[in-house]
Amino acid sequence: MKTSRRISTVFILVAATAVARAQTTEPNQSDVVKALLMRIDKLEQRVAELEASKTTASAGAPAQHHEPQEAQIPSTEGRQSMAAQIHEHDEHPQGGAVAENHFPSLQIRGFGDVDFAATDERGSHSGFNMGQVVLHLASPLSKKVAYFGEVSFTAQPTAYAVDVERSIIRYDHNDYFKLSFGRYHTPINYWNTAFHHGLWLQTTISRPEMIRFGGRFQPVHFFGMLAEGNIPSGSLGLGYEVGLGNGRAGVISRAGDFGDVNNNRAWVARLFARPTGLQGFQFGGAIYRDKISPTPALPGDPTFGEWISSAQLVWAKETPEFISEFANVHHRNNLTGHISDSQAFYAQLAYRLPWQQKKWKPYSRFEYTHIPVTEPLFSLADFRVQDLVGPTVGVRYDITDFAAFKLEYRHTKRGPKDPEVNGVFVQTSFTF
Amino acid sequence: MRKAAMRKAAKIGTWFTFAFVLSMVLVSRSSAQTNTTPDLAVIVNPKNAVDSLSLNDLVKIYRGERQYWKGNLPIVLLFRPPGSYERMIALRVIFQMTESQYKQYWVSKIMRAEATAPPTELFSGGMTKEGVMAIPGAIGCISATDLRPGMKVLHIDGHLPGEANYPLH
Repeated sequence: MKTSRRISTVFILVAATAVARAQTTEPNQSDVVKALLMRIDKLEQRVAELEASKTTASAGAPAQHHEPQEAQIPSTEGRQSMAAQIHEHDEHPQGGAVAENHFPSLQIRGFGDVDFAATDERGSHSGFNMGQVVLHLASPLSKKVAYFGEVSFTAQPTAYAVDVERSIIRYDHNDYFKLSFGRYHTPINYWNTAFHHGLWLQTTISRPEMIRFGGRFQPVHFFGMLAEGNIPSGSLGLGYEVGLGNGRAGVISRAGDFGDVNNNRAWVARLFARPTGLQGFQFGGAIYRDKISPTPALPGDPTFGEWISSAQLVWAKETPEFISEFANVHHRNNLTGHISDSQAFYAQLAYRLPWQQKKWKPYSRFEYTHIPVTEPLFSLADFRVQDLVGPTVGVRYDITDFAAFKLEYRHTKRGPKDPEVNGVFVQTSFTF
Repeated sequence: MRKAAMRKAAKIGTWFTFAFVLSMVLVSRSSAQTNTTPDLAVIVNPKNAVDSLSLNDLVKIYRGERQYWKGNLPIVLLFRPPGSYERMIALRVIFQMTESQYKQYWVSKIMRAEATAPPTELFSGGMTKEGVMAIPGAIGCISATDLRPGMKVLHIDGHLPGEANYPLH
């Protein structure tokens, strides 16, 4: 009696352990998917074995079990016969049909954001505002030709402004040479070409001032043609972009989409490295050359020669993330010969915290812009770019894989006579 | 009376220890079974002239940084869906990303106009084999236990699945 009680105690203990273990690994949806995928694999393996044994039996030979190691070095003849065998037995090769590309095959992805802002700037209003709704289009037209587009809808006081941000058709020759035509984000700046209008892609709420949308310090858009590709360089991972286009419009924050205002092409060249051994690391530099014919025209109708040189250093992994860029804008008044150089840089540091499923990512950025008071273009009222010293701190919380909340504090100081401004900004950004 | 009580306690203790050890053995055996990890084989179309790749090249290919084979044949990436063994290994060794980072990586890459679509996800090793056989530029990853004669398996860093120093497992 005692013995049976003890045995039952033992079984209860073992069962309790097993139940406890089972409870800790209670199947959820992903476990069910895993189990189903494993089941499919096992069934396919079984079918293959049966087919192989059927084939060998019909050939009058005893069935053989093919070890994987034997399969790795098949003879050419064996390979061809096996290929034929697979086609013979798979009248409907689903994998091939599913994986085969179809042209054109348009894919649309959207980005959106909703914002709240409150600052102590005199005359400003706090409140919610609708950010941009952005649609990104990608469509392969053939194995080597693809179209990319980006359209934005931006809230304005009386209506929504629709803008074609990018519209590019690209012909790929190989990895070393791809030629495209259309409207781009100018590859003079890393941020401009890494995040485009997808605010969800960037860690922070705001873009750096030196490349903000509607800004004048650097041309955000470029209309023309672009050659790009890898440069054979082994593990250094060099790449290039070279573009020829219309350059800035008369309104210098705009690109010359409807034609070149001065019949003088702008060009841009960028060289970068993405070392293979350091995934997420990138550094590079770019130069941009243009001739500006400002609208409204200035007294004497001068034009301005523009040279922009820039450098980028990026560590895109999130533990930590580091992005830093510098740009120098050199202007020459072609009428008076007066020259001036303006500089801007920013450095951003962020870190994905390891706790709570890595949803939190605090960040900080420091920005600096200096425009000399004698700058021949940026110091004029219609083309003004202001000085800036501005630290930013904030935190990003990823609600899901495709949506995030961001909370940001910004302190900005413009000119010597301008007041310091503090602001709190909240954003939810997402992709759909 | 006291001795009997001590003997009883000792017996209970012995049974408890036995049950504990037994349950631990069962648990460890069960874990060992689930931790069996066959190598990940990289397969390409038999007509593809490439026989071997470095792990760095494979990383570049699967991350979409290299999009053409020699001879300018477009590379078609075949991948397995979330939850599959092959994907788990590839995410860890090739992409060095979590599932979330992988999804965001491809959203970002397509947004930058560097690719038109993420790797095609096929629901089984068999479909991956069919895809590789049907598409000249295709490359796929399957469990080494699913390899069959006629499939072209690439050497990675000079090694085949099952060999020492093979990096994909």
